Amino acid sequence: MTAKQRSILALIGIIIGIGSVISMISVGVIVQNEALRQFKEMGTDILTVTKDHDQESRGKQTGILPKDIKDLKACCPDVGAFAPYTTIHEDMSFRGARNSIPAIGATESFKDIFKLSMTGGRFISDLDTKMPYCVISEQVAEFMKQKGIADPVGAELRYAGRFFTVIGIIKTVDEGGIRPFAINEGIIMPLPTAMRMPNRPESLTITARVAQAGSRDAARDQLERYFLERTPKLKLRITSAEELIRNMQKQMQMFTLLLGAIGSISLVVGGVGVMNVMLVSVSERRVEIGIRRALGAQRGDIQSQFLIESLVLSLVGGMIGICLGVGASYVFCRFSNWEFVISGTAIALGVGVSAAVGIFFGYYPARQAARLNPIEALRGM
Amino acid sequence: MIRIEDVHKKFTIGGTELEVLKGVNLTVEPGELLAIVGGSGCGKSTLMNILGFLDVPTSGRYIFGDTETRSLSDRELSTIRNREIGFAFQQFHLLPRLTALDNVCLPLVYRGVPVEERRARAEEMLDRVGMLDRADHRPTELSGGQQQRVAVARALSGRPRLLLADEPTGALDSATSKEIIDLFVSLNTDEHVTAIIITHDPDIAKRCRRAVRMVDGVVHTL
Repeated sequence: MTAKQRSILALIGIIIGIGSVISMISVGVIVQNEALRQFKEMGTDILTVTKDHDQESRGKQTGILPKDIKDLKACCPDVGAFAPYTTIHEDMSFRGARNSIPAIGATESFKDIFKLSMTGGRFISDLDTKMPYCVISEQVAEFMKQKGIADPVGAELRYAGRFFTVIGIIKTVDEGGIRPFAINEGIIMPLPTAMRMPNRPESLTITARVAQAGSRDAARDQLERYFLERTPKLKLRITSAEELIRNMQKQMQMFTLLLGAIGSISLVVGGVGVMNVMLVSVSERRVEIGIRRALGAQRGDIQSQFLIESLVLSLVGGMIGICLGVGASYVFCRFSNWEFVISGTAIALGVGVSAAVGIFFGYYPARQAARLNPIEALRGM
Repeated sequence: MIRIEDVHKKFTIGGTELEVLKGVNLTVEPGELLAIVGGSGCGKSTLMNILGFLDVPTSGRYIFGDTETRSLSDRELSTIRNREIGFAFQQFHLLPRLTALDNVCLPLVYRGVPVEERRARAEEMLDRVGMLDRADHRPTELSGGQQQRVAVARALSGRPRLLLADEPTGALDSATSKEIIDLFVSLNTDEHVTAIIITHDPDIAKRCRRAVRMVDGVVHTL
C-alpha cells in the first residue's frame, strides 16, 4: 500500500468522523430551532392553565368549567385576552366514511390567541352560542373534497352522531409548542356546543396572553389566586411559554450533546487512523529524518514537520467532513420538511475538533520522529 | 582548525562492549584536503560521525575551531551541523520528493534564510557543480554522478567550514568517480574548501594533498 493510499484511508476516517459530528449537531440545532420557531411566532407572553393530570383531584369537581371563569377578566387585571378551550375525540362520518378525529370547543378569542387564519368562510363567533357549527382544518377539508364536495364551506358533516354545518376552513399552522395539535387535524366548534356533546368534556384549558401593560409574574399570581378561590379542590398547573422554552432548550441541549457524543466516537476512530498513518510514515521516512538531522534540523523542526503533516491531513479531512455533514443535514431537512440552517457553532467546532485531532493523534508519532538517533535514522535502522 | 586528542568510542552490542576507536589523534588545518583511508570495520565511519557531530566520543577531546565540543546539547550539535559541516554521503541521500534546487536549499531552511536568498544561493551552488540546468529535476531523474554533484552543492550551500565526504564515490563507476574527485580537488584548490574524504580507495587518497590510514581504531600517518 502506498503512502497516498494510506493517507486517503486515514482521510476517510476523519471525514466520516467530522461529518457525523457536524451532521449530528446540525440536526440537533435544526430540531431545536424548529421547536422554538413556533414560540417565536406566538410570542412568549403566554400563560396556560390546565388541570394537573398527574394528581387526583378531590371532591366532585373534575375540572375547570365555563362557570368558573365567568369573572376571570375582572379579577385578573394583568391578564389580557384569553381563550378557554377543550378537546374531545369522537368519530366523524361523512358520505359513508368514518374517521376518528379530535374536536376543539373554543370561543371567538381562540383564533387571535393562537394566531390562526382562514382559507375560507369565517371562524366561530361568540354569537354562535350553542349552534351546531364547525370550522374544519385543511386536512379535513381535503378529505371532504376527495369525497366529491367542491366547497366544504356550507356542507354538513356528522360528528359523534350530530350534524354540523361547516362555516370555515383554517389554514394549517406550525405544530408543537402550545398550540393544540387538533387545530391541524380536526374541527373546531363553539365551546357551549362542545359542552353539550354526549361525552361531556371534563375540563377546560385556558390559554391567556399577558395584558399589554401587565407583567407576566403579576398575571400568573392573579390567575393562581383566582383559581384557588373558585376551584379550591382542583389541582391546577400554570405554565408560561418561557418556562416551556427553557425546559425544551435544556432538553434539546442534552439531545444535541448526546448526538455529538455519538459522532465523536467515530471521530476517535478516525484519529487513531491518522496516528497509524503518521507512525507508518515516520518509520518509512527514517532516512529522510536522518538526512534532515544531519543537515542541521533541530528536534523541534522534525517534530513540527510531522505535526503539521498530521494537522493538514486532519484539517483537509475536517473540511470535507464539514461539507458532507452540512450536506447530510440539508438532505435530512428536505425529507422532514424542516427549515435548514447552517450552524456556525457546528462548523467552528468541526474545524477546531479536527485540528485538535490532528495535534493530539499526531503528537506521539511526531515525538517519535524527533527522538530518532540521527545515525541510526540515516542507516534506515 | 580541527584537533582530535585521544578519542575513544565504545559501543555496547548485545551486552558485549566493543571499542571501535582506540585513541585517535588527528589535526586538520584550514584549507586542507585530507583522505582517511581504511578497510571496512576499521572505525572510519564512526570517526566520520564524530567529526560531523552526529555522534559524541566516549572519551577524549574534540576541538572544532576554538570550541571544545564536549558536553554540547542536542540543540547545539544540530546548530553546529547546520552551520559548520557539509555532508556528502555514499548513497547521496537526496530527498526524493524535492527538486535538486530544493534539496540544495535545505540547510538554509533550517538556518531561517529567506526564500529568495536561499534560492539564489542554491542556484549559485548548482552552477558551481555544473548542475544548474537540472535544478528542477527530482533525484530519480538524475544519474548517480549528477545526484552526487547535487549532494555536494547541498553540502556547500551553507558555506560550512568543513566538508565531510563518506565514500563519495562508493556508488559510482570509475569515470564518474574521477569527475567527483576532480570536483573536490577543484573546490579545495580554487575555493579553499577544507574537506575530509573517507574512502577505501588508495587511488583517491593519492589525489588528496594528505592522507592518513586507519587501522583497527587508530590513525597512522602515511
